Amino acid sequence: MTDIRAAEAHEEPRERPIWRSILTHVLLAAFSFAMLYPILWMLSASLRPSGEIFGSTSLIPSQVQLQSYPEGWFGLRVSFGQFFVNSMVIAVLSVIGNVAACSLAAFAFARLNFPWKNFWFALMLGTLMLPYHVTLIPQYVLFLNLGWVDTILPLVVPKFMATDAFFIFLMVQFFRGIPKELDEAARMDGCSPFRIYWKVILPLSLPVLATAAIFSFLWTWDDFFGPLIYLNSMEDYTVQLGLRSFIDATGQSNWSGLFAMSILSLVPVFLLFIFFQRLLIDGIATTGMK
Amino acid sequence: MSSNSEPPAYAGAAAVPLVVANGRRARLTRALGSSGAAYVFLFPWLAGFLILTAGPALYSLYLSFTDYDLINVPRWAGLDNYMRIATNDPKFQDSVRVTLTFVLLSVPLKLAVALGVAMLLNRGLRGLTVYRAIFYLPSLLGTSVAIAVLWRQLFAGDGLINNLLLGFGIQGPSWISNPDTALYTLVILAVWQFGSPMIIFLAGLRQIPADIYEAARMDGASKSRQFWRITLPMLTPVVFFNAVVQTIDAFKAFTSAFIISGGTGGPVNSTLFYTLYLYQEAFGYFRMGYAAALAWILLVIIALFTAFSFLSARYWVHYDD
Repeated sequence: MTDIRAAEAHEEPRERPIWRSILTHVLLAAFSFAMLYPILWMLSASLRPSGEIFGSTSLIPSQVQLQSYPEGWFGLRVSFGQFFVNSMVIAVLSVIGNVAACSLAAFAFARLNFPWKNFWFALMLGTLMLPYHVTLIPQYVLFLNLGWVDTILPLVVPKFMATDAFFIFLMVQFFRGIPKELDEAARMDGCSPFRIYWKVILPLSLPVLATAAIFSFLWTWDDFFGPLIYLNSMEDYTVQLGLRSFIDATGQSNWSGLFAMSILSLVPVFLLFIFFQRLLIDGIATTGMK
Repeated sequence: MSSNSEPPAYAGAAAVPLVVANGRRARLTRALGSSGAAYVFLFPWLAGFLILTAGPALYSLYLSFTDYDLINVPRWAGLDNYMRIATNDPKFQDSVRVTLTFVLLSVPLKLAVALGVAMLLNRGLRGLTVYRAIFYLPSLLGTSVAIAVLWRQLFAGDGLINNLLLGFGIQGPSWISNPDTALYTLVILAVWQFGSPMIIFLAGLRQIPADIYEAARMDGASKSRQFWRITLPMLTPVVFFNAVVQTIDAFKAFTSAFIISGGTGGPVNSTLFYTLYLYQEAFGYFRMGYAAALAWILLVIIALFTAFSFLSARYWVHYDD
């Protein structure tokens, strides 16, 4: 009985006609193209002469010119180079802060026992759902009183205090999967909890640390709201704020420069995506599959 | 490895109590030591939680009962803010209507597209990873200003969409400056970013054992019956997770509406997302107390939605244990 069933089970998928899988591919390819079309069009628009942007739906410019890039780059009082440096500094510091602080907390939650553990853990999970608007105004008042407004500190310091609970959650999930025997053996050998964290858990957790680092970078890079509130001087602007100012300063008149800078602002995201696609996708997949 | 720590089997009877006592003491010091250590590990998070989350949350609750402009000391106003929100604030009503419309349209559409594409991708095709990557990319780019800029151009009067429509002889409206259509461009933007729920659906679909489908096919169940009777029920935990996460995210949407409407929420408040209105009150007019009250109402709305999801989950989410 089971043999028959198994045989048929093997038979069934092969019966699917080839034209159906070709049809699926055509469908998916067309859909992929439709989804990427706006981005590709923006890339092509950034390479066109300004007058040619409107009225054209084609992806291939009649003549390629790179002029919009320097025009956009120097289109504001402060160059986009400065914005890129600012964004990079904030993003890199955020990555360091998030990975360090979240992995410390995750190690405590996943591998150590201590009084009130479940209580704190529940609160930590609760902060995942808390909209940041609730803490926004007092945080602003706090940073204002500390004299931190118009510096990058309000954007960076909270990361060193593990305020992105999502990463703690991700790391706890991963740390729990590491065999307990490893800690016990290390403890037998007289390792302190810190050595276990540093020498046993962290080296085995590189995939999840990398995932957290990459997401942390991307989210900080794309963040608009934080810089909008805390950064006032154009010298301190991030790329996202620079783009916004570019719209305000030039209005509809310099679309090609705006597109050129938009494309450049996406370059780091694209690069990370190309190199670390697998980690990003696995990271997303595991969050939904407890 | 743990067997190393047990007393050897040949240990004399007299030695046993000593070993146990030693073990207990060792365990006790270890527990105390490690709980001290645990709080060292927890310290950055704990400090952040108290200083940046719990403390501010309580303080914003207090501020919501005051008038506060950042310069003068908060002045107690009792329920004034809440009364004005409830009875005399048309912009609040607009922003709630806009946000609920956005949530109720974009979340189900996005999940439906995500599930449909995930099922297409789950057929053991070649090139799966390429498609998956392409479909995921917009989710990753979604919150950046560049994409909002792109969207603003796509749906402008002389933008790409209308140029495409012109190819079919259709004269499209100026989507973004028309209050009847502006919000829908933002819904389309949200649906375009279906990648991350799609990936979670894909992972969920992989968990469904293939032999259930074999059995159903043997019994002559049609494709649509298999979908309604097997795929969807088996997937309900994932649907639930995606629905909750996407709903909370949709309530918090900000950047796209801010950029596309130039920070106004216009035309005629048609894209005045709740978060945008809150931002205007706080950082446009410096009515910090009022904005704090708005933030607490948002928290309550999100909490109600989440609570409703969890309560209703009992009736439609199936965990196979």
